[in-house]
Amino acid sequence: MQIVVFGLNHNTAPVEIRERLFLAESQIPQMLNALQDKSIGESAVLSTCNRTEIYFCTGQADESLAMIKDLLVKYFDIDSKVLEGYTYTFKDESSYRHLFLVASGLDSMVVGEPQIFGQVKDAYRIAVHSKTTGYLLNKLFHKTFNVAKRVRSETRIGYNPVSISSMAIELSKRIFGDLRNRKVLVIGAGEMSETALKHLKKEGLSDIFIINRTFGNAKKLAEDIAGIPYPFEAMPDLLGQVDMVLASTGAERPLIGPGLVLQIMKRRKNRPLFIVDIAVPRDVEPSVNDIENVYLYDIDDLKDLSQKHLSDRLKESERALRIVDEEVKKFSSWLRQSEKNPLIAYVIDKAEAIRSKEFKKASQKLKNADEETIRNIETLTKAIVNKLIHPHVALIKQDSEASETIKRLFTFEEEDEKDLDDRNERQ
Amino acid sequence: MNVLIFYSALFCYLLSSLAYLVYLVYNKKTVEKAGHYALLAAFFIHLASVVFRYFQAGHTPITNMFESLSFFAFCIAGFFLFLKRTYAISSIGCIVLPAVSLLLIWALTYPTDVKPLPPILKSYWLPIHTTFSFLGNAIFFISFLVSIIYIIAEREIKRKKSFLFSARFPSLETLDLINYRCMSYGFPFLTVGIITGSIWAGFAWGSYWSWDPKETWSLITWIVYAILIHNRLAIGWRGKKTAYLMIAGFISMLFTFLGVNFLLGGLHSYM
Repeated sequence: MQIVVFGLNHNTAPVEIRERLFLAESQIPQMLNALQDKSIGESAVLSTCNRTEIYFCTGQADESLAMIKDLLVKYFDIDSKVLEGYTYTFKDESSYRHLFLVASGLDSMVVGEPQIFGQVKDAYRIAVHSKTTGYLLNKLFHKTFNVAKRVRSETRIGYNPVSISSMAIELSKRIFGDLRNRKVLVIGAGEMSETALKHLKKEGLSDIFIINRTFGNAKKLAEDIAGIPYPFEAMPDLLGQVDMVLASTGAERPLIGPGLVLQIMKRRKNRPLFIVDIAVPRDVEPSVNDIENVYLYDIDDLKDLSQKHLSDRLKESERALRIVDEEVKKFSSWLRQSEKNPLIAYVIDKAEAIRSKEFKKASQKLKNADEETIRNIETLTKAIVNKLIHPHVALIKQDSEASETIKRLFTFEEEDEKDLDDRNERQ
Repeated sequence: MNVLIFYSALFCYLLSSLAYLVYLVYNKKTVEKAGHYALLAAFFIHLASVVFRYFQAGHTPITNMFESLSFFAFCIAGFFLFLKRTYAISSIGCIVLPAVSLLLIWALTYPTDVKPLPPILKSYWLPIHTTFSFLGNAIFFISFLVSIIYIIAEREIKRKKSFLFSARFPSLETLDLINYRCMSYGFPFLTVGIITGSIWAGFAWGSYWSWDPKETWSLITWIVYAILIHNRLAIGWRGKKTAYLMIAGFISMLFTFLGVNFLLGGLHSYM
C-alpha cells in the first residue's frame, strides 16, 4: 500500500483556479464516497482557501491517480490539461512529509498560521465520519497531529505569526494612520474571522459589526468578541458606515460587486474604504479595487506581502523542518515494519474498528453525560483494546506459526459479529 | 552682515534637510528630533534676517527676487512648523526642507544688496499685500508637495507591488487631511492677498483691477482653488482627484509668481 497525495495549493495555482476546485465541507463526504466507489481504499480530502488535497492509500498508485483526475475533471468541469498544470502528486515518504508540513503551518501562505491545524483536523473528522479512513490514514493523521503539536511547542514559528490580520493592520495604517476609533464590518462568522478579529481588536477599534447568512452565528461571534450583530440584509447600510471590511464567507459567488460599492462610495462622500477579502472563493469582485478611494486586498495579495517577512522567520522554519524530517524518518520505519507484517496492521485495524463501533453505540446511550466523561470513557476503551491486542502483536512478531492462529482468530465472519451483538442486546 | 545671517539660516536648513533625509531612511526618533531643532534654529535665524533687513532697508523686504524667494521660503518653513505641531508629518520634512534650501540657494543667484524702495511701492499696503500673498503661496506649495506624495503612495497601495513611499510617508488619510487644511488656510490668505492688492492698486494706480497679467493669472489661480473647494465640500471629492487639482492650482500659481515676472512683464515685474 502506498500513501499518495494529489492536489494544488497557493504555490501552484492562482486564486481563480483554487476557487474552482474548492470543496465546501458539505461536498466533501460526497467526494469521499465517489472515491470509495472507485475502489480507492482509504481517503481524506483537505480543502481550504489555499489548498485542495486528496490523501489516499492505494495498491496501484498510477491507476488510482488517473481515476481521481478523471473524477475531478468531471466533477469540476475543468480541462484535464489545466488540472495537470496546477497540481502536484506526492507519493510515499514525500506524501506524509507534505502532510506534516501542511499541518504544522510550514506550507501555509502565511508560514506558521494556526488555522490550518484545525482545518486538517476537520478534514480527518469528515473522513472518519464518512468511514473512508482505515488503518493507515488513521495512523498517519494521528501522527500528523503529534508532529504539528511538536513543531508548535518546540519552535517559535507559531508564536508571532505573520498572520493575515497583522498584514491587514499594517496596510490599514498606510491608509488610515491608525485604527483607533475606526469601524469594521465583518462578513462571515467563521474561524478565520474570529482569529483575525482578536488581533484587530487590540488596535482600538470603536465598533465591530458582524453579519452572517445565519444570523445565529453572527450573534455568537458578536458575543465572543463584543461586536454588534446585524442581519445580513443590513450589509449595504453598514458598508456606508465602516472604514474597513473583513470578508470571509463560504459563499460560492462574490457578495460585493463594483455596482454596489460605487453606490456606497457616493453615500460615504468618498471616504476611503479598505476591504480585506480572505475568502476563497472570493467574496468581493476584483474590479472593486479599480474604484477610487477603495482598496481591496484578497488573499493572494496578502501572500505576496507576507513573503517579505519570510526571511526573519527562516531560522525558526529550519528548526521546524528538522523536526518534520525526524518524524518522517520515524514514520517511514514504522511503515516498513508494518508492511513486513501486514497482519499486525490488520489486527490493530480490526480491533480499532470494533472499539470505535462499540464506543459509538455506547455514547448514544450516554446522551446526558458531559464531554469529559465521554472522553474518559473513550480513553478507557482505547486502553483496554491496546492492552488486549499487545500480546497478539508481540506474538506475531516472534512466532510465524502463531500468526496463522491469530489470523484465524481475527477473521471471524460478519454474521458471527451480528450474533454477538444480538446476544448483547438481549442481555 | 545681513547676508551672513542669511547664510547661517541656510546652513541650518541644510542640516535639517540632511537630518530629515536620514530620518526617512533609518527611522530614528533622535535624528528626527535633531532635524526639528535644526529647523527651529533655521526658522528663527531666518526671521532675524528678515527683521534685520527690514530695519536696514527701512521698508518691508519683499521687493525684489532675492527678497521674495527668501520670504517665500520663510513662509514655507513657518507653515511646516505650524502643521508639525498637530500632525505626524515629520517624514515629509525630507522634501519640504530641501525645497526650502534650494529656494534660498536660488535667491542667492540674485543681487542681495539693499536698494532704495521704488516710489510706486511705498505704501502701507506693501507688507499686508505681500505677506498674505506669500503665505497663501507657501501653504499651497506644501499642499502641492503633499499631493505629489499622495498620488505616488496611493498608486502603490492600489497596485500592491512596492511600498517605498507609502511605508515611510504619512498615511493616505493624513495626507488628504493636510491637503484639506492647506486648502482651508491657503484660500483665505490668497483671497485677502488679491483683495488687498486690488485696494492698493486702486490707491496707487487709480484702478482697482486693470487686467494686468499678474492680476489675471492670480484670478485664474484663485478660480482653480475655488473649484477645488467647491468640489471637495459640495461633491465630496477626495484623495486623488483633489490632489490633481491641487497640483494644477499650484502650477497656475507658479506661473503667476514666476512666469509673469519673467515672460509677460507688466506692472508687477519689479526686478
